Amino acid sequence: MQTTLAALAVLTAGYIFAYLLFDRLRDRYGYVGGAEYVLLGVLLGPHVTGLLDAGRVQDLTPIVSLAIGWLGMLLGTYFRLPALALLPPDQVRMGFSEAVATFAAALGPLLLLFRYLAGHGWTDSAVQAVTLSAVATLSSPAAVDALVERARLRSAILPVLQFTARIDALVGVVAFGIVLAVFHRGDVAPGIRPPTATEWAVINLAIGVASGVLFHLFLGPRDASNEAGGASRLFVALAGAIVVASGASYYLNLSPLYTNLVLGFILANSGGPHRDVTRLLLVTERPVYLALLVFAGAAWSPESVDLLFLAPAFVLVRLAARFLGAKATAELVAPPELRTPALARGLLAQGGLAVAIAVSYTQVRPDLNPRLILSAALLSVLLFEIVAGREGVSLVQSLEEAEPGAAAVAAS
Amino acid sequence: MIRRLVVLALLIGGAVLLEPLRAPTEGVIAPRSLFLFGILLLTADTFGALTHDAGLPRLLGYLLAGLALGPTVTGVVPPAVLQDLSMMKQLAVGLIGLLAGAELKLGDLRHRRRAILWILALQVAAVMAAVWVVVLLLHPWIPFLTQLAPVGLMFVALLFAATLAVNSPMVTLAMLTETGARGPLARTTLGVVLVADVVVVLLFTVTFSLAQASLGGPNAGASAILVQLLREVLGSICAGVVIGGAVSLYLRFVRHELVVFAVVAVFATAAAAQALHFELLLSLLVAGFFVENVAPVRAEPLVETLHHMAVPVFVIFFALAGAELDLAAFASLAPVVLILALVRGASILGASRVGARLGGAEPIVGREIWSGLVSQAGVALGLATIIADRLPGLGRAMQVLIVGVIAVNESVGPVLFRRGLSRAGEITVA
Repeated sequence: MQTTLAALAVLTAGYIFAYLLFDRLRDRYGYVGGAEYVLLGVLLGPHVTGLLDAGRVQDLTPIVSLAIGWLGMLLGTYFRLPALALLPPDQVRMGFSEAVATFAAALGPLLLLFRYLAGHGWTDSAVQAVTLSAVATLSSPAAVDALVERARLRSAILPVLQFTARIDALVGVVAFGIVLAVFHRGDVAPGIRPPTATEWAVINLAIGVASGVLFHLFLGPRDASNEAGGASRLFVALAGAIVVASGASYYLNLSPLYTNLVLGFILANSGGPHRDVTRLLLVTERPVYLALLVFAGAAWSPESVDLLFLAPAFVLVRLAARFLGAKATAELVAPPELRTPALARGLLAQGGLAVAIAVSYTQVRPDLNPRLILSAALLSVLLFEIVAGREGVSLVQSLEEAEPGAAAVAAS
Repeated sequence: MIRRLVVLALLIGGAVLLEPLRAPTEGVIAPRSLFLFGILLLTADTFGALTHDAGLPRLLGYLLAGLALGPTVTGVVPPAVLQDLSMMKQLAVGLIGLLAGAELKLGDLRHRRRAILWILALQVAAVMAAVWVVVLLLHPWIPFLTQLAPVGLMFVALLFAATLAVNSPMVTLAMLTETGARGPLARTTLGVVLVADVVVVLLFTVTFSLAQASLGGPNAGASAILVQLLREVLGSICAGVVIGGAVSLYLRFVRHELVVFAVVAVFATAAAAQALHFELLLSLLVAGFFVENVAPVRAEPLVETLHHMAVPVFVIFFALAGAELDLAAFASLAPVVLILALVRGASILGASRVGARLGGAEPIVGREIWSGLVSQAGVALGLATIIADRLPGLGRAMQVLIVGVIAVNESVGPVLFRRGLSRAGEITVA
């Protein structure tokens, strides 16, 4: 009894201390938050208090899958075709080139690192390298939106930044979904021919499309805002939809993020209550992200080699890839008025999707270095969140200096 | 609505199509459980809307959805899946407990204490006496009681009576959330139900140990069991104060991200409850009460957050509870179950009216409060499980009968309470 009560005391005191500490970082450096929740998870987990042992962490799978799917679906709702059609072509080109260049710049070194330094076969190296490259490519659309909102500046580069963050996330999630389908793991029932890599990829897409169509029909044209308690009930319907889609993917060892991305895309583009859906997803994004951080902290079981070498190496690779991708885009694709090497500084925060990819990986590929992937992703997310706020502010300041007219327009 | 039912049918068909694409796997949470949990949520939402359109409480729809998909009707959600999802139910119970405790205002209790205590005392006494007599009278028609010696029969009947004296904080709170009722009937019912929860659990511990001793269990063990059960209740209260302290510290120093905090607090408490053998619902109820009434912090942000989370939490709890209802058990003892349910309802009706008059409650409270005291759910089911686990042989058979009565009360109770609230003019949400 004393041990458990002591554990509760450690948990409460540890969390409150961490919160107050990070609160100072928030005030001083514009830190966007998250590390204290990982710490909370670590405190709850089997390595400290043991309140959430390995079995209980596994029992939380429904909540975790809901959280992962939630973030995937939110990303899907960003891509409304009528809005995309109005975007300037330069912006679209820049967004895609930055994302693909960053992904490629991360993939090369990571593939070599896993193949030659860690000694894995090509297939295993590819799965791990693509997963971490997806994590490296991600930028947090929510963090960029917050930065743009704070900046109160009418610079042409800010919409590019917002769109690029969404495309980064899209490329990361799609790459992760495809790699899990192509290098699929798991047996089918006896007497059934195992699907080929292409067939798994099609099955993954088909689950997303079928879920999207079915939930469009399920939600119908109802307007949640006019109904008493409508938002809560829309939450239940959405949670059900996401858990079904995530459950189907998880059942087949595919990516729930990718499935829910497709589901969100279809809901956003098929009419119906898409505004209510998007609003609800946005409002609940932060608690979902933080719940995922707590879970990731509880499930985290680092090995010394992860923390000493591989995870820091990944952070460096990500930093280099981010700046290389932005530089290549600025020099090769961007029109003269949008040519700035500073783009990468606004895209440093990774956000919930990076943690979602890592946690999803640990669920679907527990056989292939899950601890390393989770350690690398968590370290990267936490470090970049500490620097992202400050870098974002300095990016805005440099834009104000470079484009004094933009600041004046915004002020007027 | 037909469109939604067709979509649900297609989803269930999709589940069958996906089945062969994965070999059966063992896991702490089987992947299939997650998928079926989603289908259960969507079905509950649909059935909730259907019952609402029919002028019935939504939570009846959630229960029916669980029942329809559960092992006793279609078997779409098998028992193994329910086992996998027990953590979700624990989360729901914990959040409801925290909210229920925080809803219990000391000022309200003081203001209504005479009415609450009179209604509570007479209701518990009347239900226990009536059920005890009826079980003794009906025992020739209850197969597992016919073999008992007279003394054993008396105490087993008393154990039935104590278990059926329990009300349902879950249903009460769910109905108040759904209807937005905050008037005298709502407040008095909540007060009676929450205080009764503590009182009846104490009564249960006493009757349980007496029944166990009378059934030939080791006499020396009877007092030990009593001490152990009392320790659980007192432990829950102490744990509740400690958790309430931790919640107060959080509200004092942090105050942010209350959704995540509430979920983490419930899981941490559930883990501690399992390790230290205290009751999750009671401890969080005390914690909520402590934060609202004792701690020098403002509990409103937490209460508001818990209210936002209430609808999904109720859907999860009642859909899972519906799936666990055992229709076969009800069918085998249907006449006895119905008589017990009727007698219980009638004694609540009479006793609560007298109690309300003696306690000086408003006339409308006296007329309608019985409707809020009929429901039974989580706590009663928990006590039935204790009986099944700790009285080998006889306990299982007793559980079947008790669960049958709970099933009736769980289904009829919300309908009656909604009607009562409507008559009292306290329903503010259509």
